[in-house]
Formats: sequence, structure tokens, C-alpha cells
Amino acid sequence: MTGLLQTVVGGLSMGAVYALVAMGFAIVYRTIGLVNFAHADVVMIGAYVTVTFFLTARLPFALSFLIAIILTGALGLVIERILRPLESRDLDLMLIGTIGFGIVLESVAILVWGSFGTAVPTPIPNVPLHVGGVIVTTYQFLVVGVAAVVMVLLFLFLDRTRLGTAMQAAAMDRLAATAMGVNVGAANALAFAIGSSIAAVAGGLVGPLLYVSPGMGASIGIRGFAAAILGGFGSIPGAIVGGLIFGLIEAFASSHLSAYADLITFVVFAAVMTVRQTGIFGERTGDRA
Amino acid sequence: MIRVGLGKPLLLAAMLALPVFLDLYKAHVAVLIMLYAIVAIGLSLVMGFGGQVNLAQAAFFGTGAYASAILTATYGWNPWLAAPVAVLAAGAMALVVGLPALRIQSHYLGIVSLGLAVAFASLLTNLTVTGGASGISRVPPLPAPGIDLTDEYNYYYLVLAVLAGATALGLFIAGTTLGRRFRAMRDDSLAAAAVGIEIPQYRLLAFALAGLLGGAAGVLYAHLVRYVSPDTFGLGVMFLLLAIVIIGGRDSIWGVMVSAALLVAARDVLIGLQTYQQLVYGALMVGTVVFAPSGLAGVGAAVRRRLPDRWPSIPLSLVGVGQGKSSPARAPRRSPAAAGGPPAIQVTDVTMRFRGVLALGDVCLEVPAREIHGIIGPNGSGKTTLFNIVSGIYRPNGGSVLLHGRDVTGRPAYTISRAGVARTFQNLRLFRRLTVLENVMVALDRDPAYAHARYLLGPWSVLRGERRYRVQALSLLQELGLDGAAGELPASLPYGLQRRVEIARALATDPTLLLLDEPAAGLTAGELDGLSAIIRRVRDDGVTVLVIEHNMGLVMSVCERITVLAHGRVIAVGSPVEVARDRNVVEAYLGSDLPLEDAM
Repeated sequence: MTGLLQTVVGGLSMGAVYALVAMGFAIVYRTIGLVNFAHADVVMIGAYVTVTFFLTARLPFALSFLIAIILTGALGLVIERILRPLESRDLDLMLIGTIGFGIVLESVAILVWGSFGTAVPTPIPNVPLHVGGVIVTTYQFLVVGVAAVVMVLLFLFLDRTRLGTAMQAAAMDRLAATAMGVNVGAANALAFAIGSSIAAVAGGLVGPLLYVSPGMGASIGIRGFAAAILGGFGSIPGAIVGGLIFGLIEAFASSHLSAYADLITFVVFAAVMTVRQTGIFGERTGDRA
Repeated sequence: MIRVGLGKPLLLAAMLALPVFLDLYKAHVAVLIMLYAIVAIGLSLVMGFGGQVNLAQAAFFGTGAYASAILTATYGWNPWLAAPVAVLAAGAMALVVGLPALRIQSHYLGIVSLGLAVAFASLLTNLTVTGGASGISRVPPLPAPGIDLTDEYNYYYLVLAVLAGATALGLFIAGTTLGRRFRAMRDDSLAAAAVGIEIPQYRLLAFALAGLLGGAAGVLYAHLVRYVSPDTFGLGVMFLLLAIVIIGGRDSIWGVMVSAALLVAARDVLIGLQTYQQLVYGALMVGTVVFAPSGLAGVGAAVRRRLPDRWPSIPLSLVGVGQGKSSPARAPRRSPAAAGGPPAIQVTDVTMRFRGVLALGDVCLEVPAREIHGIIGPNGSGKTTLFNIVSGIYRPNGGSVLLHGRDVTGRPAYTISRAGVARTFQNLRLFRRLTVLENVMVALDRDPAYAHARYLLGPWSVLRGERRYRVQALSLLQELGLDGAAGELPASLPYGLQRRVEIARALATDPTLLLLDEPAAGLTAGELDGLSAIIRRVRDDGVTVLVIEHNMGLVMSVCERITVLAHGRVIAVGSPVEVARDRNVVEAYLGSDLPLEDAM
């Protein structure tokens, strides 16, 4: 029982990170209808920027974190601006464009930071705490806490602010939103910026849990992405639940059959998607003839 | 259209002579280029033609390579015996990855296939049979009597032969009915099913082709390098393949080959600068999708349009086929329904709910053969939903649909199309990257999917069919006054003509029942007259016509009987005059007691 709970705790902290990554995917998807494959590498860039300011420039972790959030937000704007001509033309092509961006970002990271990764110390003393027989580290608490705060902030933004409401409107019906005076182009750009900023939160938090390397985007991104789909693409609560589920599946798969963790994770995922393509919280949007 | 010109023989001659000018290392690079080109042709078929976002192509390549390596190096099989098994294994792998494509598409399929590719790569590094992270070394060379296939130059010719075969296959598919069906499915799978294309079979077929080509290249790779390791088939290679196909032009076999040559050669020039190479690929991909979505092939086509046609060429369809007697263009191929037989369509108590909201409730409809029957009703009354049920796009929650007495309730759209139902769509659903001629040709081909076995058994009969479809399609277009637009893409035509192309496409399936969903919407007065004439002529050919329309002038003048829907229920059936005087109808439309005729 304790072993089981211990696995759950490990799964939840990675799950919180996946949930953040999934939210970044989701906010872009619900607004534009695009799967941003570059998102995974934006997470990686976010992790590197945080690490660089934290370790090399010796700024406080919180400040480095903030800088990373702002810089990746700007990066999101750049990506959106370059791919904008495709928004109304061909989303499959735009998807491939984001894959191209991902490749560019990864190689830029190798050029700037080298192809070997960096180990990152935790920004707070990482003390193991005993909670009901299960060991939880302080950093795990921090990760889950920060992730929760970001999720709540995003909710409040989308639900309680004019800008957020305008974005929701743009997501629901482009034409109607335009007619109501919402600048859909700006909403799209904002979605990219917010999505990318959240990516930096995920990247910054995951650094001390894993190892920061140019290739990290692929492994975290693909899980975050799969989590977003599993939860129901474009649904923010779905992204959170999907992320946690992915963290848990992975924790269980790797504690029992570590060699086949990837295989199990993705085969289960493929099966679930084939059976229920709208994910857990997704809505079925009928193809109107 | 496939043409035999001077270009292909010249290119082949150049490729045959090429090794003379290459040193050993360059010959090796040339072989690698050709191998990647073979894998990329497979990816182009599944993604560029079939529209399936497949991000697992590198895994098919890897399956072929690993299967061959394991069978020969570990189990000591003869490589020539192992090769076909390995190619089939890759094909089977592709079918497994393709299974989710039966339910999910586009982005979803992309991530699922990418996930499966990651799972495959992790399996390679973790299994003992694959040698873990260190892979399998000492893969034996391909034995050949009298020829040393460890020699790079000899191997070049072997791979060239396979590439020539793959290219010929790719071009043959691209230029004939199978490629057209793939492209139709890519452009609009719903409309493709409505003209009878068995979508599940074609999706799997596209994946299988990609797997077989990837597997063939994998086998050749394993016996060339004689060592396989997981990183050769990882995401890096996947992105290289994707870049090759995108930059080359997604549905151009030639473009893909040129781009394979450029990108793989560039990779070699930049071998010490792997990072820059990746940067260049990524940037090229972004540049291509934004500025030249049709890739090198698009650029090539633009250049060619400015040049005079220098290569004399003959259409292949004339070689050996001869100017056979062409069948009359639109003689009814199906025997028209005999009068007095079962009704052309009989809908009984059909009910349809969308998440609890009733769209249709106990709807009944019976239309005798050769009748022009109108379906009218206010917006949202369920008219299009009824069409979607009859044509197999929706499965009703209850009730039955009989076609000429045969129960087709809930059958898939392609089955219903094959049973003789054709339709048009309210918001035009033409295949946007097929020409008008191709839009019609794709519907003319009534062969079921398994008939594509002819691609292997009798390619000539495929070409003969091609020629027949072309003649029939041109004559059908002429009949509808569309012959001038045959070579155009639908989007370049005025709206009224696009509507007519949809009717032409529907008629090309040789239906016994034609469903027209608001055919008059957006037509000018002149075009309206043409439409009435077309509808009557089609009926005179023995076709039953069901037409949804808001234009009362058209409905009243053309339809023999009319069914009126309101709030998902039938509120009146009868002749135009009866219906126009019906109290319920007048109320549904106007909420007053004005006779409908006065309201017009």
C-alpha cells in the first residue's frame, strides 16, 4: 500500500508538469485549432533560459523563472507571426510548419548550450518529508503548488477578464467573434504567447526533476501532447486530468516494467484514442455535410 | 496521365552512368540518397496522397532493417529468404500503426503515430533480440553468384533497380485511379465515401504501401551498412523524411526524389556541422510551408509553364492499348428500375437525436422510381439530416431505410453509394486539389477496393480503364456544359459552375437515386433554368431524384410530389398544389393563414 502511494506521489509531480505542458497545447488548440508541435521545444527553451539565468548569471530562481516566462512568451509571438499566413489556409500544413520550428529550436539550443545536458540543483533545500508513511520532497510540493497556481490563474484569466472572454469567443466562432468586434488575429497571437509562457513554467519546474538537455522537449512534449489529447483536446480541465493520468500511468509502468514504460504508455494511449477519439472531456463535433 | 517521354530514359541512363564519376565514398552517399528516396516515396503515398498524417515512417524503415538483421545475423537465414519476410513485417507494422487511422485523423493521428514511433524506438533499445542500445552487428551481405554485393558500386545498381521499381510504382499509382482515390480521400473523406470510396480500406492500403516501401529500403540498408542500431530509426530520421517529403512537394514523386538527393547530400556536406544541418532542414520546412506549400514540385511546375514543351512525349495510354471502340459515354450502365417495382426509396419511422435533441422523429418517406420528389421545410427542420441518413453519413437512432426494397439502414456511405445513391452537398464538397475532370473521373470508377489487385496482375487493364474514364468524364462534362472547365481546380470556377460540377460528380457514379441538397442556392436566373432542365433529363434517364430546396419556384415547377418537414417531423406530403394549400405547411412557414402561393 505504501509502495503504491509512493508511486502515486512520484506520478503526480511529473503529472503536474505534463498537465502544464498539456494546457499550453490546449490553449493554442482551442483558439486556433492547431496542434503546435513546436510547443515541446518551447518547454525545453524555457528550461534552458531558467537554468542559464539561475546557474550562470546567478540570479535568484524566481527571477530567472520570470525572465524565462517572458522570453518564451515573446518566442510564441514570433512563431505565430511567421506561420500566420497558414492560419486560414491549411492547418495540416501549419502543423508541419510547427514541426519545422521545433527542429529549429532544438538545433539553436544545441548551438547555444551544447548537446550535453545540465543537471540542475533544486532552488529550495530538497527535504524529504514523511506524510502518512509516504516520502514527499519539498520540491515535489513546490512543483505541484506552482502548477496549481498557474492553472487557477489561467482559469481566472479566461473566465473573469474581458480579454479572456474575448479569447473564448474567438475560439468558439471566429466569424461571430469578429462581428462582435473581437480581434481574432490578436486572440490567436495571445493564445500562442500564453501557451508558450506556460511552457516555460513547465520547463523551469521540470529542470531539477530531470536533466535539462536539447532533446528533453521530445520526451516531455510528446507526453504533454498526448495528455492534452487524452483529456479532450482544447479542454483545460481535460488537459489537467490527462496530464495527471499520464504521470500516473508512467510512474506505474516504470516502477513495474521500466524497460517497456514507453511502449505501454503509448500503446495504451493509441488504444484509448482509437476507442474514444474525443478524449475524456472532449466534445464530439459532428462533421456537417 | 502517365507519359513516356525522353526524360525518364535519359534520367535512367544518367543514373546508370553515374557511379563512373563517383569515388567510393560518394557512391555510398548516392546509395543512401536512393534508400531515403524509397522510404520517402512511401511517406509521400500515405501522407501526400492519402492525407494520413503518419509520423511513424522511420519505424517502418527500422522494422524492415531490424527484421532482416535479426533473421540473418541471429538466426542464420539466407538473406534473400529473410528479405521478403522483413518487408512483409514492415507492412504489418504499418497496418498496426494505421489501425487508429480508421477512427482518428489529422492532428490526432499525427500524435498517435508519433507516440507509437517513440514506443518502437524504446522497444529497440530495451529488447534483447534487437541487441539493445548497441544494436546488431555482423549482418551478412546479400549473397549473389558472381557479383560481390559488398562492393559499393555493385550495391548501387541493386538499389537503383529497387528505386526504379518504387518510382515506377509511385508514378503509376499517382497517375491512375488509385492515386486519384487517395487524393479524393485526402481532400474530403466524407465526400469521398459518398462517391463510393471505401475509406477504411484505402487508409490501410496507404499505410501498407508506406510500410512495404519503408521495409524494402530498410532491408537494403541493413545489408549495406551491415549493422543496425536504434538511433538510425529514431525521431531524427523521421524529421529528415518529413522534411524530404514537405520540401519536395507532398504529392509529387519526382519532387520527393529531388529533395531526397538535395537534403541527404547536404547532410553529408555538413557532416561535421550536424547542428547547422538540422537548423537548415527546420528552417527550410518552415519556409516551404509558408512560402511554397507545394514544395519543389510547385516551383518546378511554375518553371515548366514558362518553357516550351521541349520533350516530345506520347501518352502511355495509347501504347499497346490502341484506339479501341469507346463505349457510349453515358448509356445507363445500371438497368433503370422497372415501373411497378418496389419504391426507389422507402424511409420508415426514422428517428435521429443529437445528444438528446430530436432532429428527426418518426419520419416516413416513400418515393416511387423515376419520381422527382421535393423536400421542403424551414431551416433546421431536419432536411439535410434526412439526406445524411439516407446517404449513410449518419446512422439513425431508429427506423429503417430501404433502397429498391433492400435494407441499407446504417450502412456506411460508400456501401450506399455502391447501392446506387449519389448526392450533392449543401456547402459544396468538391475535392479541392483535383481538377474538375478528376473530380468526375474519381466518381466514374465503380470498382471496389480489391480490384486494385490489377495494379500487380494486369497494369495494362488499369491504363485501359483510365482512358475509358477520361472519355466518359469528358463527355459527361460536355453534356453539362462544363467541358471548358475540365482542367481547372474547382475553386477557380464561379459558384454556379461548382454546383454543376457537384451534380456531374454525383451523376458519374451512375445512380438510381440522386439526392440534391439545395442545388439552386446561389444560382442566377439563367442557371436556374439550366438546373431544371438537368433535373428533368436525369429523371428521363431513369433516375429517381430527391431535392431539398428553398427556391419555391423550382420546387413547384420541377417536383411531382413534395414532403414537408417541420421540427423534424413530416407535416405534409402531396403534389405541389396540395402542399401549397395545406394549412399546416402555411403555418409552419409563415405562422399565418396566407396561402403559400400568394407568399411567393
